[in-house]
Amino acid sequence: MVTSNFFHPSIGFLMMAVVLPFLPGNRRWKWLLLIPPLAAIYAAFTNQPGDYLTMTWLGQTLKFGHVDALSSIFAQVFAIMSLAGILYALHVDDKGQHVAALLYVTGGFGCVFAGDYLTLFAFWELMSVGSTFLVMLNRTRESVLASFRYFIYHTVGGLFLLGGVLLRHKATGSFDFGPILAASAQPYDFLILAGFCVNAAVVPLHAWLPDAYPRGTVTGSVFMCAFTTKTAVYVLARAFPGWEILAIAGTVMAIFGVLYASMENNARRILSYHIVSQVGYMVAGIGVGTAITLNGASAHAYAHILYKGLLFMGAGAVLYSAGTQKLDELGGLAARLPWVMVFYMVAALSISGMPIFNGFVSKTMTIYGAAADHRTFVALGLELAAVGTFVSVGLKLPYFAFWGGKPTDWKRELKPIPFNMYLGMGLLAFMCVLQGVCPEILYRYLPYPEAVGEFQPWTAWNVLQASTLLGFAGLAFYLTRKVITPHKALNLDFDWFYRLIGRALYWLISRPAAFIDNIWTNVWNVVGLRGLMGSARSSVFFDKKIIDGVVDGSASGVKGIGVIGALLQNGKLQYYLGLMVVLALGLFAFFWYGVL
Amino acid sequence: MPDESKKSGFLGTFLDAQLTKERVRTWRIVFFVALLATVLLAFLIPNHHPHFGLDKYPAFWAAFGLVVGVALVLFVKKIVQPLIKRSEDHYGDL
Repeated sequence: MVTSNFFHPSIGFLMMAVVLPFLPGNRRWKWLLLIPPLAAIYAAFTNQPGDYLTMTWLGQTLKFGHVDALSSIFAQVFAIMSLAGILYALHVDDKGQHVAALLYVTGGFGCVFAGDYLTLFAFWELMSVGSTFLVMLNRTRESVLASFRYFIYHTVGGLFLLGGVLLRHKATGSFDFGPILAASAQPYDFLILAGFCVNAAVVPLHAWLPDAYPRGTVTGSVFMCAFTTKTAVYVLARAFPGWEILAIAGTVMAIFGVLYASMENNARRILSYHIVSQVGYMVAGIGVGTAITLNGASAHAYAHILYKGLLFMGAGAVLYSAGTQKLDELGGLAARLPWVMVFYMVAALSISGMPIFNGFVSKTMTIYGAAADHRTFVALGLELAAVGTFVSVGLKLPYFAFWGGKPTDWKRELKPIPFNMYLGMGLLAFMCVLQGVCPEILYRYLPYPEAVGEFQPWTAWNVLQASTLLGFAGLAFYLTRKVITPHKALNLDFDWFYRLIGRALYWLISRPAAFIDNIWTNVWNVVGLRGLMGSARSSVFFDKKIIDGVVDGSASGVKGIGVIGALLQNGKLQYYLGLMVVLALGLFAFFWYGVL
Repeated sequence: MPDESKKSGFLGTFLDAQLTKERVRTWRIVFFVALLATVLLAFLIPNHHPHFGLDKYPAFWAAFGLVVGVALVLFVKKIVQPLIKRSEDHYGDL
């Protein structure tokens, strides 16, 4: 999969995922994990625009390597994030978690470079399987149940996408993955949009995210927070720019996420709701659809992956060390985990859009673009969400985790944090500040270079506006800190409806189906079984006396195959999923090398 | 406990030292002075491109941050959460 001037980053991650289970267990294999992300960084910054790696399969042309400005900028940040994520996870001995993360990242890069809907769908599903394992491998009852819900939900989302893609092919005769005009949109386009919106966590399809991400492994959630939603942002930016419905949906997301984050007690769930909120900025930017807001959405996705990864790393480090992520059980840790606090605060100020940090140069671009396009309510809604972001992620979470008005908690047993976790956090913190101070290193890669000059972040007014807004949001937090104090609770969200639908479907399938099955069993017992017994008696005679005499030992051979079959069909979803990926990759390899 | 604070390094020692009453008061004063400074600066640095009526006034974003922040917290914690709050194991997943 390497051509003279294109290297597909997925191939490194995929090969590593295939090889890793067979490497000897002396932990030296961990250093090899760094190769795929480093290769991906090199590839993402050197690949030239064009179409690479096409293959014809069943009369369809599959394009694995579509490179243009939009896919390049997402590939770059994915590559940087994959390096930081693997650095952060380097101490983990569980190979299963690494394989899941590698496959997941493979899927992410595959989607970004996909030039047609079939390729996109294949990698889309690979991401879904990989991330399911990242939740499941946390190995608690809570996580396993959450991973099952997550997988069912994403399968439904994937089916929307597949249905839309196939109907679209039937109508237009092509799987081309390009912009769709809102004015001439057909029902199948809306199916595709719905499939994308599931992964983008568009309200009210978002509830899988705060359900699953807080329950993933400490290191797995760091990967998940970066790739799934941002891949969805990428495909929305490619297929649905300028769709008015996305401008509204994005603004709703930005505010909705902030409201839930303000009442949540679980640190990683607060951050999860803020993914919904921040992705809202990007979706709104795509919906407004001018060159500057599309630039803003891309820039914000770039910045967001870096600071959100860092936020999950910080909250994950607290969970790893203190053993809990519930704010009411934390506090007084600033002096015990000082560098975690510092790195967390870099990310928190970035997400809030504070000057010097990268949110300041990306978030403001989208808001400026919306205001310049006279979308006052979009712009004001996003400013409102910015206030809420600073109050909940910038102040509430760190205040109650690291201070909480308590003295330093010297008594608490803290598990020492491995150095590699600090390394991952340090890399992202460095990137957040670097982009904030020198925005041009981000802006030069934006997909619409002609619109970059329209917006200057570092003007005296912009710096003052951001500082004033956040300063007084800080004052609001100071005044209401007694009210906002988090307590243990579950806040009902839209997953209440998902669970209701799930239970209704379960009832519908199990009750009538079980009823029919019962009748069938009775009929079978009375009629079918007697006939079968009669014929069996005669065939046993034939079998024993004649066949076994001729083909000796065939019966035991069949029995052996049966045992393997029974082992594979053990009713455990995780084995089916793993097997499915192995089979799919095997088939892919067969066709790839068979065709070339 | 000096022996334990050493484990946290210079940054941990510094952060621990900021928790005394006097230091907290100093930081609070620094915060309020900074807020005042942003409002005063807003009169010196005008917004040349107001996008809708109200943002032409110098202290608009200060008022917006404060009012929206307080209103958001009160709305969420006093009105929304009491309606949708359930026990932690409401769904029996834990």
